[in-house]
Amino acid sequence: MDQLETLRKRPIAYYNVDGVGELGVGFLCLGYALLQWLQISTSQHSIWNQMYTLFLYVGLMVAVIHYGSKAIKEHITYPRTGFVEYRCRETFWFPMAIAVFVSIVTASVLFTAIRRHWNLNTPASLLGLVLAAAYAYGFARTVGWKWIVAIVIAAGSLVFAFLPAEVLGAVADHSWVTRYAHASLAGAILFTMLLYGTALLISGGISFWLYLRHTHPPDPDER
Amino acid sequence: MNQRIREISELDRVIHEPGRLMIIALLSAVERADFLYLQHETGMNKGTLSSHISRLEEAGYLDVEKTYRGKVPLTVLHLTDAGRAAFEHYRRKLKDAL
Repeated sequence: MDQLETLRKRPIAYYNVDGVGELGVGFLCLGYALLQWLQISTSQHSIWNQMYTLFLYVGLMVAVIHYGSKAIKEHITYPRTGFVEYRCRETFWFPMAIAVFVSIVTASVLFTAIRRHWNLNTPASLLGLVLAAAYAYGFARTVGWKWIVAIVIAAGSLVFAFLPAEVLGAVADHSWVTRYAHASLAGAILFTMLLYGTALLISGGISFWLYLRHTHPPDPDER
Repeated sequence: MNQRIREISELDRVIHEPGRLMIIALLSAVERADFLYLQHETGMNKGTLSSHISRLEEAGYLDVEKTYRGKVPLTVLHLTDAGRAAFEHYRRKLKDAL
């Protein structure tokens, strides 16, 4: 019975067989880190701190990830190891519901923290432990070497959590954001995004390279 | 004990064969998949996989669509409603029997 359930989970794991899933999330994290750096290092009224820029930027990143992943799947993955079309429940509604829930909780906590001047740099950094656990559950269970990535994310998050506030805050010390929040919070989020993005991009890149190395498109006559 | 034996004997024979069970379990988790994906996941050769697919198609559990991606022929498979219902029924029966 357990083997049957494991088998039913294989198509979901197949989405990241080429590392494209991780490349997408890594690109998103690094893109967000770049936007945040631009926001804290320019004036409050610069183009980077306008609401429409945020929507355009995020929209552009999502479009690049969506169409980039689609192109890789159609030209590389499907001809080598086959095509799979997922059911909307698994790949759209469930992740969307989780994303909306997490966004609402995060926005509420951040809004409250900024209003009450809470120092959230340690909890923000420790959030990486939750991500490391989710990563271990989602990827490392099936691909052994990805435990290294999970450990790097967890260890990096712990290091950020225990770094002195002035070290984390150095990146945003003279920024306008310090009028609304601790500089260390901005630094913690920026460094955390950089860590996740880099780790996932490297892991996705290695998976992609290994996938290309170990798979070949079958002879057209054999299909 | 007798009850268990009866439950095992009542399992759907079309699905209970290991090769077909693999195919139907994989397809139950997706909307559609192609022949190459099933071959890659199950490790079966083309002939064996084709014969299992034909058996499932005859039972009305699978729909087979022959199409092309560019100039490459593509065989896309998906479970019918009857196939999904039969697989769910099989899982419940198997769980009870174990």
